Amino acid sequence: MRAAPSLWASAAWLTAIALACGLAPVLTSSSTIHPVGPPLLTPSEFPLMGTDHLGRDEWSRWLYGGRISLLASLSAAGLAVVMGTGAALLAQGIGGAADTTLVGGSSAAMAIPGLLLALLFVAIMGPGTDTLILAVGIGLAPGFARLARQALLQVRTEAYVGAAAALGAGGMEAAQRHLLPNALPRLLSLATTHYAWAFAAITTLTFLGLSGDISRPEWGSMLNAARPYLRIASWLAFFPGAAIAATILSVHTLGAWVARRRSGRWPVVSDQ
Amino acid sequence: MNLRRRFPFLACTALLLAACTPEEDASTTLNYGLTLAPTGIDPHLNASAELGIPLTSVYDTLVVQDPATGEILPGLAERWEVSADGRDYTFHLRDGVRFHDGTTFDAADVVANLDYTVNPDNHSQKAVFMLGPYELAEAVDASTVIIHLSQPFPPLLDSLAQVYLGMASPEALDAWGPAEYQFHQIGTGPYRFVEYVPYDHLTLEKNPDYAWAPQIYQQAGPYYDRIVFRFYEDPATRALALENGEVDVLGEIPPLEAERLDALPEFTLRPVAIPGQPMQFLFNTARPPTNDPEVRRALIEAVDRKAIVDTIFGEHSWVAEGPLSRNMWGYADGVSFPAYDPESAQRRLEQAGWILGDEGRRSRDGVPLSLTVVTPNWGNHPEVSQLLAAAWEAIGAEVQIETAPGFGLLKEASDQGDYSLIGINFFGTDPDLLRPMFTSSGLYNWMNVSDPALDAVLSQAATTAASQSDRQALYADAARAIRDQALILPIRDYVDLVVADNRAGGLAFSYQGWFPLLHDLHPGP
Amino acid sequence: MRRLGTGLLTLWAAVTFAFFALRLAAGDPISSLLSQGLASPEQADALRTSLGLDSPLPVQYLRFLGGLTRGELGRSLYTQRSVAATIAQQAGSTLRLAVAGLLVAAVVGLALGIAAGTFRTSLFGRTASSLAGFATAIPAALTCVLVLWAATSLAQSSPFLLPLTRSESLLLPALALGIASSGALARVIQSGLEDNFDAPYLLAARARGVQPGPRLIWHALRPVLPLAVSFLALEAALLLGGTVVTETVFARPGLGRLLVSSILIGDYPVVQGLVLLAAVVYTLTHVAADTLSAIIDPRLRPSA
Repeated sequence: MRAAPSLWASAAWLTAIALACGLAPVLTSSSTIHPVGPPLLTPSEFPLMGTDHLGRDEWSRWLYGGRISLLASLSAAGLAVVMGTGAALLAQGIGGAADTTLVGGSSAAMAIPGLLLALLFVAIMGPGTDTLILAVGIGLAPGFARLARQALLQVRTEAYVGAAAALGAGGMEAAQRHLLPNALPRLLSLATTHYAWAFAAITTLTFLGLSGDISRPEWGSMLNAARPYLRIASWLAFFPGAAIAATILSVHTLGAWVARRRSGRWPVVSDQ
Repeated sequence: MNLRRRFPFLACTALLLAACTPEEDASTTLNYGLTLAPTGIDPHLNASAELGIPLTSVYDTLVVQDPATGEILPGLAERWEVSADGRDYTFHLRDGVRFHDGTTFDAADVVANLDYTVNPDNHSQKAVFMLGPYELAEAVDASTVIIHLSQPFPPLLDSLAQVYLGMASPEALDAWGPAEYQFHQIGTGPYRFVEYVPYDHLTLEKNPDYAWAPQIYQQAGPYYDRIVFRFYEDPATRALALENGEVDVLGEIPPLEAERLDALPEFTLRPVAIPGQPMQFLFNTARPPTNDPEVRRALIEAVDRKAIVDTIFGEHSWVAEGPLSRNMWGYADGVSFPAYDPESAQRRLEQAGWILGDEGRRSRDGVPLSLTVVTPNWGNHPEVSQLLAAAWEAIGAEVQIETAPGFGLLKEASDQGDYSLIGINFFGTDPDLLRPMFTSSGLYNWMNVSDPALDAVLSQAATTAASQSDRQALYADAARAIRDQALILPIRDYVDLVVADNRAGGLAFSYQGWFPLLHDLHPGP
Repeated sequence: MRRLGTGLLTLWAAVTFAFFALRLAAGDPISSLLSQGLASPEQADALRTSLGLDSPLPVQYLRFLGGLTRGELGRSLYTQRSVAATIAQQAGSTLRLAVAGLLVAAVVGLALGIAAGTFRTSLFGRTASSLAGFATAIPAALTCVLVLWAATSLAQSSPFLLPLTRSESLLLPALALGIASSGALARVIQSGLEDNFDAPYLLAARARGVQPGPRLIWHALRPVLPLAVSFLALEAALLLGGTVVTETVFARPGLGRLLVSSILIGDYPVVQGLVLLAAVVYTLTHVAADTLSAIIDPRLRPSA
């Protein structure tokens, strides 16, 4: 299957940004908190991204800020995926009432809109990146549990059909044991989308000023800090904003590709 | 093709939404911007300076101060005498003053107001402290009232000139009670209180019967039928609100925007220097590592205060060099704080035992040099804190910044004591405002300082000091002591950058700086 | 009917969660008031008793539920005014924004969805589809900043546009909110159209040479509309979340800002009331949407 140009672009961006943020100490020697010159210098006056309103190196803050955005979202998404998959597997394993509880419980949890839930967490635990990771992770978990459950059910049905058709009755147990591995591609695609959602949620929450430590850069809070200067220093909003948009779109594109790839291309029943 | 069909619909929707902007009758309504939404707006009980902006014109005070010199002039009191021992002030009130509800103003009302203010159940946060050693007030007859103090208190007249001791209608105070009165305020001033919707707006309307204007009001106002105050807590929204005409006057405009607006023909920038304490951070002398004066001195020297002020405030502010702002009469000219000297700062820390480790961090006996800065989230404090943190990290400290989103929470943080520095300052026109902060028993002694000499100087200046020049000398002593003990980190003197649309003329501010004299504001240049 | 029952159950669960969650909040709100100097020790004790905070937790919970049935949401710890009154005061602004945003979302979503579904192979259609995806994926915060930047830049060269940036004006915030919420609707319409265009009667029509003109599109669209309407009902609830960011960026008063500021100063009764309101709205719209699609569902099948 030929991959579309958008897929290459997405993969390129994600690789580049992950490398750049990971190699931040190599790419820049400026501190993220110490002023390096006059405030609001343009990128041409002070490469690569100018200085912010306090005279700090925007390039350095962008790199280190990206680290926090990308990693915090990874933690939050990871939490959601682990919790959600665990719950779905458990419900599938026990079956019956556990399954109904899962569906009902996740509906109840989803009755409070995600942002509100996150704000509730902040109200209880106070602002801070850890709070946000927990809030977003727990907030996305019920939704993931539902989707994981669906994926597992689908695989189970296909497995039974496949097993019954090809291997006879004995294949059903085999199919059940391999439920999770067969569901993995679907779950992977779901996890990718959830990473994008977690990233959007984390950057929104830091945008609202709930990240606790005001010194530490992060793309969402950098976007917010750029608001008073939209007219006189629009690059301060452009760099974090473009990075946020590019990352989210790339992850979504990747997730869609994974979803398309797996349909009909992966074996329904694994080897004995 | 479909979009072409949709376009008229879209255009209509857009126009409809645009038309939803209500039009104001520009000639008789003034829109004024406020920047902080206080949790309470009863001047007798709440401390915010923001509430004074509208309410200074809702109330009259016993005396007023000349906006330029601070000289005490008649207000609701035509004349007054002070007893020889300085403990009794007799005020002779003028006739014919009426409250907005029509009732007459007399001496009994003064007594009722002061009783309300000092009543401990009401929890006054500022006004009661401005009365100092107040004992009681007595209405001798309908137009004479005597205020009795337990000891002399020179700042009393200054206090009585401020909105926090403005005269409210006792009937209204009684009828509504301390929680609800703020939404139904009744005074005698040139503008009447109409309504207050928290976070949204506060409306005043003209008092047509206002016939007792004190001499600080120079025009024959009030002119506007209505003045509507709106809140612009987010500094990013303020310049835009002026440009799109939503508001006619707005203060605390960010410096770069203020300059840009000033360059436009339709706006004028009015910088107003605010007397009182400068923006400052108090050191916690009871908690390591700031319990060591050498550490405090090092922290002061490590900060390039001029660079911070230049970066954040541009040319519209200057570095503070003491516990009082430069435009206060108690300011000590010869006293200044240590200059920027990072090498000296590093030496001091080394000598105090804080040794530089491998990762550029200092520690002593295994304990890292760790600072916690509690900063309010208004007035550029967060930005200043970030630059302070950067400066201190450069000399080997670990710095944590905690933001307090409200004054009450700032106070709560101070109670908990978990801070090395805390940002707080008060505004005012009498240097006695230092007393609640720098005396060992002061309510706002968040430095936990306990210096009998400082106590003595500040209480003497507030009681037995014979003349203003005597008081001035005492406050100079206090400034020296504060500097020598490195109790505070002064940053900058407050300058309120007010930008006004040229549609509104006659903008003048009271001696306290923050409060506009709305009585004189009129349409047209 | 059963949906209403499950809805109520969900609501109860959400409300209970909010109640217990806030009780876990770090610090006792009453002692916070004390150290903020807003109450004397006697007043604090009185407040604690009147709020029932000295009773055991289950008793408090029952009292809370009882109060709910009477429409009592408690009093703000700071202003002493009833939470219901505080919320009602700010609700109007948010409601106006949400309705306007929904309108924009409907229009933009319809436009993009039709374009993407009808011209799915052409660049025009693919662009529309990408735009829809773009709009949903990027956070509302970014959309709001983009709209604000575009408006203020435009207004610099055309000053007559400035009044549109006022905070009473719904145009910009509604635009931002609506665009951010339009993607999901566009997707629904797009996939619905794609399916329907493949339906036999329409394929036959196209085989006869009928071009995808307005009438054909309308025929394909009609079955999708009821689903879209119920989807829009769901969007309404999501929009309420988006108002938090929009109100912050465009400096509008409303429930979003009330929520954030109440959380920051720790006014828990207000936070509780707002969470309750959100859960109610969310549940009601879901129940309505489900019921709506269930009613309309049988009529979705084409009789041809």
